[in-house]
Parts: sequence; C-alpha cells; structure tokens
Amino acid sequence: MKAKSPNIKIALIHLLSKKRQTIVAMLGVTFGIAIFIFQAGLMSGFQTVFIEQSINTTANIRIYNEPDNKRKSVLQNAGEKDNEWIVVRNQKVKDEQTNIKNGYQIIKQLEKHPEIAGVSPFLGTQTIFRLGIAQTSGRVSGVDIEKENLLFALQDNMAEGNILSLENTPNGLILGIGLAELLGAKVGDNITVVSPKGVELILKVVGIHRSGIVEVDKTRAFVNLRSAQQLLQVDGSYLTDINIKLKNIDKAEELSREFTARYGYTAQNWKDANANVFGLFKIQNMITGLVISSILVVSGFGIFNILMMIIYEKMQDIAILKAIGYKDRDIKTIFLSESLIIGFFGGILGLILGFTLQEIVGSIRMNMKGFVAMEHLQFNQSPYFFAFAFVFGMVVTAIAGYIPARKASKIDPVDIIRSK
Amino acid sequence: MEAILETKQLSKFFYDPVEFQALKNVDLQIPKGQFASIMGSSGSGKSTLLYVLSTLDTQYKGHLFLDGEDLSLKSKNDLAEIRNEKIGFVFQFHYLLPEFTVLENVMLPALKLAKLDQKQIEENAMSKLKMLGLEDQALKKANKLSGGQQQRAAIARALINEPKIIFGDEPTGNLDSKNADIVFEILKELKEKYNQTILIVTHDNNFANKTDRIIRLHDGEVVN
Repeated sequence: MKAKSPNIKIALIHLLSKKRQTIVAMLGVTFGIAIFIFQAGLMSGFQTVFIEQSINTTANIRIYNEPDNKRKSVLQNAGEKDNEWIVVRNQKVKDEQTNIKNGYQIIKQLEKHPEIAGVSPFLGTQTIFRLGIAQTSGRVSGVDIEKENLLFALQDNMAEGNILSLENTPNGLILGIGLAELLGAKVGDNITVVSPKGVELILKVVGIHRSGIVEVDKTRAFVNLRSAQQLLQVDGSYLTDINIKLKNIDKAEELSREFTARYGYTAQNWKDANANVFGLFKIQNMITGLVISSILVVSGFGIFNILMMIIYEKMQDIAILKAIGYKDRDIKTIFLSESLIIGFFGGILGLILGFTLQEIVGSIRMNMKGFVAMEHLQFNQSPYFFAFAFVFGMVVTAIAGYIPARKASKIDPVDIIRSK
Repeated sequence: MEAILETKQLSKFFYDPVEFQALKNVDLQIPKGQFASIMGSSGSGKSTLLYVLSTLDTQYKGHLFLDGEDLSLKSKNDLAEIRNEKIGFVFQFHYLLPEFTVLENVMLPALKLAKLDQKQIEENAMSKLKMLGLEDQALKKANKLSGGQQQRAAIARALINEPKIIFGDEPTGNLDSKNADIVFEILKELKEKYNQTILIVTHDNNFANKTDRIIRLHDGEVVN
C-alpha cells in the first residue's frame, strides 16, 4: 500500500473539530444552490411555456403589406425651396389598400418550397362583437380553417366544439375563450359582428378556442375567409397576410429575408415578431442571475469565515507541519480541500433540495391567468442547470477557500514557535 | 572529523523596530555524533541561531552547510524537503496534532517523505515508540498523554526519517526534573547507541554540563 498523504485527513479533522460551523457553512452553499436551481428552473420554465405558446400563435414567418404612412404627399414635393412651408388642411380620407395583391399565386409558389411545411392565407380586421346587450371590440381572423389548423394546431386547444365545423358552416365563428366569457356566448349562439366599414354580419358560434395567452383569447375570433371579405367589402382574392410554417424553425430569419426580397412585401419571422418579449426575458434573466449570484457569494463568505477561524485555532499545527517538512503547497491543499469538501457536500445537498422544491411547488395546482394561463408552475429541469449550479457553487467555494488557504500557507513557523 | 553542520560568517540582522545585529559572524562546526548544547543569557541570540541553523529562518547572511550542502541559496520548497529528510525537531512544547493518535503523529514526517509504503512507515513508527517506551500509548489521541509522554512522542516523530541532526529548543523547559532527566537520557542514548548528532538550546546548566560540548553565546557572538 502506497503511503497516503495525510493532507485530506487533516482537512477532515479540522472540519470535524468545528462541526456546527461546518454544517452552517455547508447549509449556506446548500441554500444558495437550491435557490439557484429553483429560481433558474422557474424562470426558464416560464419562458419556455411562454415561447411555446407564442410560437403556437405567431407564424414562423408572416408576409404582409406594411402601409407606408410616412410617405410625403404630392404637394409637399411641389415647393421650390426646401425651407418653404406648404400647409394642407382637411386632407381627404383615402383608403390605402393593405392587401397582398397576388396572394394566392404567392401561396401556390410557397407551398412548393422545400423548407415549408404549411401556408395559410389570412385576412384580419377590427370588429365589434355584439350579443344581446353585451358588446366588445376585438378582431376577426378570416382564415382557411384547415390550413390554419395545420399551422397552429388549433384543434388541440379547443375548449368546446370542433375546429373543422367552421369549414362546414359558412357563417360560422370560433370565439376565443375570453371573448366568449365577455359576451356570455355559448356554442350555437348568434353573434352580430360589425366591421369598420359598417357591415353587419350575423355569425353562429361553432366552437370556443383557448390559446393560453390571455390577451389573445379576449380579442380573437376565427371566421371563414369569405366572411371576413364580406365584412371588408372586398373581392374573393383579397388577403392581408400569408402565414408560413417552416420545417425547421431556426431557418426563419434566413428565409424571411429571402421572401422579403422576392415578393416585395414585409416578411417577418417569429423572433422579430416577439422581439420585445425576448428583450424582456433577457432583462429577467439578468436580474435572476444577479440575485442568485449574490446568494452564492454570501455562502462564500460563510466558508471564508469558518476557514479563518480554523486557521487561527490551528496555527500551531500549521507551524509544526511546516517545521517537519510540509511545503506551502501542502498547507494550501489542506485548507483548499476543506472549503471544497464543504462546497461539494453542500452542493450535492443543494441539488437534492432544489429538485425537491421544484417537484413540490410544481405539483401544486394553481390556476394562473396573467400573461399566460397555466395550471401548474412549469420548471425547466434541464441537467444543464443542475450542472451549472454545481460548478458555479464549487467555483465560489474555491475562491472563498483560496484566500484563507493562501494566508495559512504564508504562516512563518518561527513566529509561532518562538512566541510561546 | 566530518562536520554534519557548519557555518561560515553567519550574521543575522533584525530591522524592526530598530536595526539590530542578533548574530555576529558565527563560525561553527558540529561533527557527526556530537551531542552539543548552546547556552547564553536571554537575548544572547541562541534561539535565533537555532532557527537559522535549522533552516526555518532564512533571513541571514553568510553560509550554512548541512551534510556538506550549502543551504544559503536554497528555495523555501527545497529547504522544506531538506528539513523533512535530514532534520528532526524537538521544541519546548510537543506540538503534536491533538486530534491524531500518537502513532499517526509520529508517522506524519514519513508520510510526507513517502519513500516507504504505508505499512513500513507504520512499523517504523511503532519501533520508535517502543524504543521510547510508548508502544502501549500508540493508539491514544495525542492530547490524552501526560506531558513527559508527549515530549517523548515528539522525539519519536523527530526520529522517524532517520535525520542527520536533531535540533532541540529547550526540550526539557516545560518538564519536571524527573521527566527532564528521562528526556536527557533518551537523547544521550541516541548519541551513544546510534551516533546521532544533536544540538540543543538550553538555559539549564545541569543539562548543558552533561553534554559533549557547550557553545556559549554572548550578544550574538560565540565566546568560547
């Protein structure tokens, strides 16, 4: 049996001689890591749910005609000098058509594109919904419901009714669940829909849909394309948007640029469409990161503290070890091991505690209706978080241990032995 | 006779609070197998000399040779290795690690040296303890022993790596006369049976008079 270096044994004995403080320092790491896992898992879980639901309600790529409202009027270009003012009062109302002019041809082309899984025509407009004395504003989405279902899996989230019954009911209407509640509408009711053009249609509720995003559910209703075209008094080829589902969602940015260039209309990908949300998440993650790190830094102080105490108490042991030939490096190893032992076991406990907390809190049923509607808190339990939390904990521990360890290694045995 | 320990023009200064020369051009030779003592009044520099000679204190001028090797230019790490292999220490206090058993304490320097395997080191430590009459205390925690026993355990620890020289700083200073005599007899036996070189700092005349040679120090100078 090879001679075992006694360094680790010395470290363990030091820790055992201060059981209570060691446990407190360990628990500091445990709580730090548990909160890390809990918090990071919660944030990331929430964001994942939100992103999934947003992706389910926004197209991977949406092609639409962006009206150029800032275009100068003809008169404004008529002045001779740049500093001449031309004032036109009471401009006449003029309808700017925001449709995609050759929409169906574009759709036919896109359907043959190898990267595309589905294409759905869309015509949207503001409307007022009325049922009895109830009245609320919202939007109708005129769609080809079969294609729309292919893109957004609407059938999976029907609260009532069947999505495809819209196809069989020309004057059908599918309400968002929030909208249905506002109107007090049930399947089978007839809703009066009024468009900005003043056109009134009476449509029959054939289903109620729940997207999960509260704001969408409160304002959106699906109708057949033909009904939407009637509301806007336009012909049967009139479309405002083309929604596209890709086979590979990560190609959205590249393809959206390609489509913008090819068709001359704006092609917006899902990342740009949700840019504000992703920006919000970035800030949220930063704040979470800061809070978690500061908790771990506090646990670092706990370790620093106990090591300093041990060093002051074991000054003579350090002196004699150095006198009998233990090098600075050995002393450093002893005290660094002590902090890493605390960090390791505290960390393992923290992983278990964090996981347990997630399981417990995740199993509590709570109906939340905020930004999104969820029945349970969703945690991201990716092993990446656990590994990262553990490594981060060990790094903090190592830094907190290194400073006292260095100090211990610099102790001059002559000072200690002579001063007796 | 071959000198185990030799100094040439060894000087030592303290700068704090004021500049003060603690050792003045000390030239000293300790031959192999000599049991020597350093005496002097307090403040004469005798402990300072011992710490310089034993390589714990490296802030000096001049040359120090141990076993023919010049140590004055060695790094701290090299000196630690040299102390581990060639030097044994016995201080006024035993400095045993209180939570370790006596046997483990004695094994510590050998475990660091790591020239032998665990079992051989244990056997060696046991035989040193037997030699010092402590075999029945081997598995007790070091802080459970009496003062005399602890000092003997410290001597066993000093012997474990078969050092070239043993340094003692008032090794009997904290013991009653009976235990002081026992410690002296042990050191004497080491010299006589094993030709062990020993250098002891003491202010005990009785002790010094029984050694082979007394080196007297006065104001940092050797005065015999």
